[in-house]
Amino acid sequence: MRVSRSRLGALGSAVLSILAGGVVFAAASAAHAAGAPIVVGATVSETGPLAADAVFQLKGEALGVAVANAHGGWLGRKVLLKYYDDKSSPGTAVRLYQRLITEDKVNLLLGPYSSLVTIGIAPLINKYKMATIEPGASVPTIYVKGNKWNIQGIASSTTYLKQLLPLAHKAGANKVALVGLESAFTLACLDARVAQAKQLGMKVVYRTTYALPMPDFSPIALAIKNAHPDVVLGCTYYPDAVGIARALHQQGFAPKYFGETVGPVEPAFIKALGPLANRILSNTSWWHNYKTPGNKAFIAAFTKKFGIAPDYHAAVGYSGIEVLGAAVKATHSLNQAKLRAYILSHTVPTIQGPFKVSRYGLMLGASQEMVQIQNGVLKLMTPPSLAEGKVLVPYTGS
Amino acid sequence: MTAEEKTDALARAAARFRGAHKSRIAAVAAGLAAALLLALIALTGSGYTLQFSTDILAAVTLAYGWNLISGFTGYLSFGQVSFYGIGAYATSILVLRAGMPWYFAVCCAGLLGALAALVLGPIMLRLRGILFALGMLGLARILEVVFNNWNYAGASLGLSLPPALTPVSVYAGMALLALLGFLLNAFFAHSGFGLDAMSLNEDETAAVALGVPATRVKVIAFALSALLPAAAGGLVAWNRSYLDPSSAFDPTLDLETIVFVLFGGVGTLWGPLFGATVLMLVAEEFLVYLPHFELALYGLVVIATVLAFPGGIVGIFNRFGYLRRPIILAPAILPAGEPPQKRPPRADEAPVLEVKDLEVRFEGLTALDGVSLALKRGETVAIIGANGAGKTTLFNTIAGFVPPSRGEIRFFGRDVTRLPTFRRAQLGMARSFQIPRSMPMLSVWENVVLPARHGKERQRAVEHTAWVLHVSGLAPMWRDRAGRLPPGHQRQLEFARVLALAPEIAFLDEVMAGMTVEEREVVRAAIRRLPEFGVAAVVLVEHVISAVADLADRMVVLDFGRKIAEDTPQRVLRDPAVVRAYLGEPR
Amino acid sequence: MLLLQLLVNGILLGGLYVLIAQSLNLIFGVMGIVNLAHGGFIVLAGLFTYWFATTSGLSPLFVLPLAFVAMGLAGALIERFLVEPLMLRERRADLASLMLTFGLSFVLVQLALNLWGSDFVSVPYLQSSYRFRGLNFDAALSISGVFAAVISASLYVWLNYTLSGKSLLAASQSPTGALSCGIDVGRVRMVAFGIGVGLAAAAGVLVIVVLALAPQSANDFTLLAFVIIALGGLGNYLGVVAASLLLGLAQSVAGYFWGGNAEYVLPYLLLLLVMVARPQRFRQSP
Repeated sequence: MRVSRSRLGALGSAVLSILAGGVVFAAASAAHAAGAPIVVGATVSETGPLAADAVFQLKGEALGVAVANAHGGWLGRKVLLKYYDDKSSPGTAVRLYQRLITEDKVNLLLGPYSSLVTIGIAPLINKYKMATIEPGASVPTIYVKGNKWNIQGIASSTTYLKQLLPLAHKAGANKVALVGLESAFTLACLDARVAQAKQLGMKVVYRTTYALPMPDFSPIALAIKNAHPDVVLGCTYYPDAVGIARALHQQGFAPKYFGETVGPVEPAFIKALGPLANRILSNTSWWHNYKTPGNKAFIAAFTKKFGIAPDYHAAVGYSGIEVLGAAVKATHSLNQAKLRAYILSHTVPTIQGPFKVSRYGLMLGASQEMVQIQNGVLKLMTPPSLAEGKVLVPYTGS
Repeated sequence: MTAEEKTDALARAAARFRGAHKSRIAAVAAGLAAALLLALIALTGSGYTLQFSTDILAAVTLAYGWNLISGFTGYLSFGQVSFYGIGAYATSILVLRAGMPWYFAVCCAGLLGALAALVLGPIMLRLRGILFALGMLGLARILEVVFNNWNYAGASLGLSLPPALTPVSVYAGMALLALLGFLLNAFFAHSGFGLDAMSLNEDETAAVALGVPATRVKVIAFALSALLPAAAGGLVAWNRSYLDPSSAFDPTLDLETIVFVLFGGVGTLWGPLFGATVLMLVAEEFLVYLPHFELALYGLVVIATVLAFPGGIVGIFNRFGYLRRPIILAPAILPAGEPPQKRPPRADEAPVLEVKDLEVRFEGLTALDGVSLALKRGETVAIIGANGAGKTTLFNTIAGFVPPSRGEIRFFGRDVTRLPTFRRAQLGMARSFQIPRSMPMLSVWENVVLPARHGKERQRAVEHTAWVLHVSGLAPMWRDRAGRLPPGHQRQLEFARVLALAPEIAFLDEVMAGMTVEEREVVRAAIRRLPEFGVAAVVLVEHVISAVADLADRMVVLDFGRKIAEDTPQRVLRDPAVVRAYLGEPR
Repeated sequence: MLLLQLLVNGILLGGLYVLIAQSLNLIFGVMGIVNLAHGGFIVLAGLFTYWFATTSGLSPLFVLPLAFVAMGLAGALIERFLVEPLMLRERRADLASLMLTFGLSFVLVQLALNLWGSDFVSVPYLQSSYRFRGLNFDAALSISGVFAAVISASLYVWLNYTLSGKSLLAASQSPTGALSCGIDVGRVRMVAFGIGVGLAAAAGVLVIVVLALAPQSANDFTLLAFVIIALGGLGNYLGVVAASLLLGLAQSVAGYFWGGNAEYVLPYLLLLLVMVARPQRFRQSP
């Protein structure tokens, strides 16, 4: 009978399709026996708008694990990095961290890239009480009392380009144009810089925010030009950093000081802009001349393994593994509470400097220092003890 | 009915009865099994299993929501994520700022989404085809920017909620929403309202002419289809406990949903469920096990499906006779049917139709210029004229498709000049189309029951439909899909749909164009029988004068939008002005 | 002066839009195929251009003819073997083509990802601007605008003054009518799709000269192109040119006076406003 067969068939196949899902779940959840490797779980935005920087973080983490294994692993066990691509989407990241925690049953966690995705998974981390070092989340508001288990692994977003305005102010510059992307990290940075400008008594002559995808930056560039600022400061990620630099030049404007937060330290940035990149100021929380333990080895190993020089995202990812390793070795356990207590109460030396956080997990040790692109090469400008040269002004746009 | 037919019919009826009985048991059993499985996941699943199941159920809910407006009703939307975002924000704000419990907030969010659709619907649904889709897309982008700049809603930093994180309650809530989606889709697939919606998908103009209140139907469908994503968005926001504009109004969510439905089978009851479940599982497996090829593999699965399996997964089942949509309002066997009750004429009756001084202008061109016309009960009038004389415009204006710039139209003395088209059809002003506009994916039965059911209770509608099918000679193929009928039967169907409205007046637009003499005779006989079917007056537009000369009591001749003659056929055909207009100036 | 500069910027931007939208207009507006892979073709060609220009050191514009021909051929093959069966079979060819090209867009994006990675890239080429009477003419936009104008003008001439172009228009307006005139509608569709994809590739080459691109930008271009052709009127050649220029202009003005958010939302706002204010323009289904 047509009617009955169709009904039965329908429901039967619906059940079957759901059952098939169940089987897949069951197959995917393999148990980890003792003595097996220590698994560090993470997601990284291998695709999506934030991928360019995120991939460096992943490489740093992968190298960290490789180095740990080369030194005999932790607690006599091999270390394994298990990661998924979260596509720069907080929703996907939430599901994948659930998977890492409850299916893959990883022993340790590292955070994803970007503040936005980290905010997305923060409730989860705290529900499962996993002491998680966040190498990609600079926004300080994540590290508050309620989020007990998030530990900041990177310099706070309020420290990005913090040296630029005082420097310009000292040299007599007064008018500032500030632009920023509509995203957690960039807006936190923008607010901090606006406050700093006011504190210094500088005049904010132009300020705007924008969302990606931005078709064309020329209207903003023209508006900046007509505001005649001495300093242009962009709280950017990579794509908009490139776009703004090009648009300013095309509108025939070169401010005396030109800084952008994320972007200029990527090798791709200089490749994309050529001479335009020269004298752009940016920041880094790690540099190759840092006299931190293991830094030389890190640079050599990274360059050998991936064929490119590391950037600070790589160093931050690498440091995250260093800190986890130190905590595991010191506490002789994988107990999350013990690990957290150790990390919060100790200062761990890492390649990006002493890893020291507040009682809410806010990064105190690492800070963003200023760099400038000079003749197609990034040079460290601060702190004075490590500076590779003097800041060159004005930005010429060629 | 012969004895043989009778036994056959009885046997079929008995089999149907057994079938219906069995199918109910099967449905209950399958429903129980599904509920058991869902409960099993809830009780034993890991956090991830629960989360992923919740995500799948959310995808099913969104797919069911989209299927209502875009699948059944045919209004392709690229912006249902607008309602998802509205629901997510409404829930978050109600929980955070008003301290509402989450389940209550989610219900409010669903209703708010539906309300937003009720407000937006009349504006947005004026657009058709891809333009509606793009309009909705634009709406979602605009909302994203509004929320990016709205400080109360956290602007672009978003809102953080107290953590919920896939407790079983959220999972259960999402399962209920998916079930609601299923039930709403089942309602569309089985009810007269659903038939109205599907008729808009097939041919909106024809549907309106058959008395379907198009605007009301699509706005309601839109509101129902907004309810689901709004509630789902609210639950997801509560579950994730964080919300920001870019993820709340993420356009890829819409694209995914659309592909889920198309993959499963668009406009079907089971398609959204299958499509969302299968593709979510496939995508997750690819993402986890083949991370560097997942996009391409996913894309190839989609391409292969669209090429190899038209109609999606449900289409495959259909090929083997499973999961077919039951014919709406159809009885198990075709009853004998009964003719409509004739409205008794009143002594002081006004003319059936009165057209006074009608004028229609299209951007400077006067298509109708002061045309007047009156029809009494029992009259048949033919309107003739050369191409472009304004015949079809006159029809369209009387039926309500074209607004007149001057003049009035009265139907039994009632002024219908401003009445919407579907109301005129429901009152009994029926028109046929020059080219048959049957609804090809609907069955013959549904094509006829669509106009027949307005203003009637179900049993009367069924009897009336059956009667129409019998008298129009379509009874043998009443369960067939209309699109499969040969052209001759298509014309019969066009005629049957006019009868199904139980019209007082029938406007027949060139029903005999391009017919052979034999075919014409069949139609002419049918037209002669119209009064006996309860039709009080008939208006014919015809090009072939000889075909209507002996049918019509009177002839009206139009030329360049003006009435140049009105008289009995014999006299009109001898009128020199008519001859000149029709045949051109003698040379 | 300021207004003149805004005008220049807007028109230059609009010139780029013309090409991005016109290629889709040919495929969608004229043939009714909803091509969601449009942005994928643009991005693929753009990234190829980046790779070519940075490895060879030659001008990216050399890629233009190559990309047009190669992607055009690929487009014709895609039409012949993937789209055409749907056009012949499906009643709602728009839905079926939507799903097909959606799948295709994933394949293209993955291809681009695996070939060139997920970075945003741009070519350090023509970064300066021409100065003329105190106005800045963005060099990259000017050059790409000139190319876009030449290409779309040739398209216009082809469509309206050659037999093959006219038969395409005829086939789009009435497939059955065209068939009865002896036009091979299937072949016309193949040619049109090929040319549409080829033009998208050309647009990609010009876009990479102007903007930074990554594989995941694909959808942004698809959406933008759809909005422009909806604004200009589906299949309406001159309408799309006008809409592109006006949109470029409006974005340039809005971005200047009201900032980035206004510029971002403007295309959609305009679309809705036009739809609500002048619904009769959008009444008839395409």
